Amino acid sequence: MNKVVLWIIILIVVIGGIWLIVANKDNVPEASAEPIKIGFIGPLTGDLANIGANAKAAVEIAVNEVNAAGGIDGRSIEVVYEDGACAGATAANAVTKLINIDKVPAIIGAACSGETLASAPIAEQGKTVLLSYCSTNPAITTAGDYIFRSVPSDSFQGNFAANHIFTNLSKKKVAVIFINNEWGTGIKNAFTKAYQDLGGQVVLSESYEPTSADLRTQMSKVKTSGAELVYFAGQTDGTITGLKQAKELGITLPFFGADSWDDTKVWSELGAIGNGAMFTTVGSNNTEEFKAKMAEKVGPDNIIYCSNYAYDNIHLMANVMKEVGIDATAIKDALYNVNYTGGVGVDPLKFDANGDPVSANYVIKVVKDGKADVMTQ
Amino acid sequence: MEILPQLILNSVIAGSIYALLALGFNLIFGTVKFFDLGYGALTTVGGYVVFWFGKKLGLPTIPSVIIGVLVAGVLGFIIYKLVYQKLRERRASSMILLVASLGVLTLVQAIIAMIFSSQFQTLSRSAGTRHLFHIGTGVITDVQVIIFASSIIIMVGLGLLLKFTTLGKAIRAIGDDEEVSKVVGINTTKIIGYVFFIGSAIAGLAGILVGFDTGIEPVMGLNLLLKGVIAAIIGGVGNVYGGVAGAFLLGFVENFGIWKIAAEWKDAIAFGVLILFLLFKPNGLFGRK
Repeated sequence: MNKVVLWIIILIVVIGGIWLIVANKDNVPEASAEPIKIGFIGPLTGDLANIGANAKAAVEIAVNEVNAAGGIDGRSIEVVYEDGACAGATAANAVTKLINIDKVPAIIGAACSGETLASAPIAEQGKTVLLSYCSTNPAITTAGDYIFRSVPSDSFQGNFAANHIFTNLSKKKVAVIFINNEWGTGIKNAFTKAYQDLGGQVVLSESYEPTSADLRTQMSKVKTSGAELVYFAGQTDGTITGLKQAKELGITLPFFGADSWDDTKVWSELGAIGNGAMFTTVGSNNTEEFKAKMAEKVGPDNIIYCSNYAYDNIHLMANVMKEVGIDATAIKDALYNVNYTGGVGVDPLKFDANGDPVSANYVIKVVKDGKADVMTQ
Repeated sequence: MEILPQLILNSVIAGSIYALLALGFNLIFGTVKFFDLGYGALTTVGGYVVFWFGKKLGLPTIPSVIIGVLVAGVLGFIIYKLVYQKLRERRASSMILLVASLGVLTLVQAIIAMIFSSQFQTLSRSAGTRHLFHIGTGVITDVQVIIFASSIIIMVGLGLLLKFTTLGKAIRAIGDDEEVSKVVGINTTKIIGYVFFIGSAIAGLAGILVGFDTGIEPVMGLNLLLKGVIAAIIGGVGNVYGGVAGAFLLGFVENFGIWKIAAEWKDAIAFGVLILFLLFKPNGLFGRK
């Protein structure tokens, strides 16, 4: 027994020694030619991997542009990419690593509302700025002082969709199918409340698990629900399977989705099955230059709106850092006062006292032949 | 009540998939007496081999499926030779074999995810041009009919194999008592190898059919396996026909259960039924024959 104790003590001393040496390294001031690190969290794997890859491409374009223009006072910016996998636990790990190991002052992230909601308390506690480019769950409004987002809350999107469906499309009975995660539940609640306030009737409300690939049961219930339209707040995989199974079951009702349907993978996979599907999504201002650069990276006609906002977030962050330096609290304070114009997301980009954007601009897209385009009224 | 025919059809489809899984699982467990979690990985392997040959290389469907089933069977056999046989020779306990099989499952899943990415893929190329059969107000696709037919054919085939062929009798003998089988002169190592090949091939087929019906992803194995295990336990572990009965029972309970309850409770219902059975009828419906 004594030998074991001895080894344990030696192990503790060795590890403790290494820890002390490594910890002291931080006290050495950084050389001023070193790149500034910014964090990025997105779904690089999993259900929304296409959206994550698309956003990453936009971020890379933005970083190249910033660095080509001289970076920030001569220092280039370097983005550390971490995978959130559209899951709270994975995102929480990612943000912890970015804060504690990479010591970034700001993180552009995340895409999925579940990722952002899980990361927010950690970022808030670590006094690190979290600037989401795609998370729309209403709860993020009050997630913290250091938590910002350049896309609007789903309380607006729910309203917008409910109005369009009830008034413009004259559908008074709707079946709601939604993915059982933070984003899906959030927009389901926003839509249901707005739609019922208008006088509409929600005849069915069914969820599906993010991990399940089979929506046959939910669609079977839709078929006999008496609905005039299906509000389908689904993410990529669930939508692909769900719409296919709905077609197999002989459902001819119109399908209406939300911003997650902006994922180009959904419609290219579904082909003709997707024809006629509609969805609300956050509007963006694609410039020819941005379109060309994205086409180089991800192919033509393949821009998901989150990428526009991620691109703007990088440029915005670079501008702010040029003004106030790389202290997270200074960046946070500056963000509340920015007025970013000329972006490809929303123009101008300004934040209210909660860190939400002051303006919300939605469009309705219609799918035809594997592509979704803005509906011309 | 117009949803009733569709519910019945959904139950039959689900029951068929679970039956396929339970068949292979029962075959393996009945013989070697340990929970082979790696079995779940072979459904994934089958699916992805067909994905590779069918979608990436463009082979027609039937050859791809045959290759997929064979590869799954061979891989199951190799895993047995490399991992389980060595452990069993050393008289490893069931616990250790269970853990080893868990390792196999995780490893195979990870390798597949690395090669193919963890994205959800579909196997069928002609999406949406399926043949539909209308039964009452219910609809069933051609793939789903094939799933049902496969489960019945394999159940009958396996039953015949076990009852009438020499191999089948040897398998049953080993299942009864392995030591005595060795004494009587049965080459248990070789026979168990066959068992793993056949069981894994069935798993591969199940994965392929699920892939055609909905789709494949690297982590599909565990969920399918668990449902197959539940079906096997309900029917009486080790009993081929019992597993099939348990599978269809599970399919019906799941789908009728969520008729009135929200669909997200499907898995909870399945596991709830399992717990009830373990509490009140641990030998399942048919017990050990």
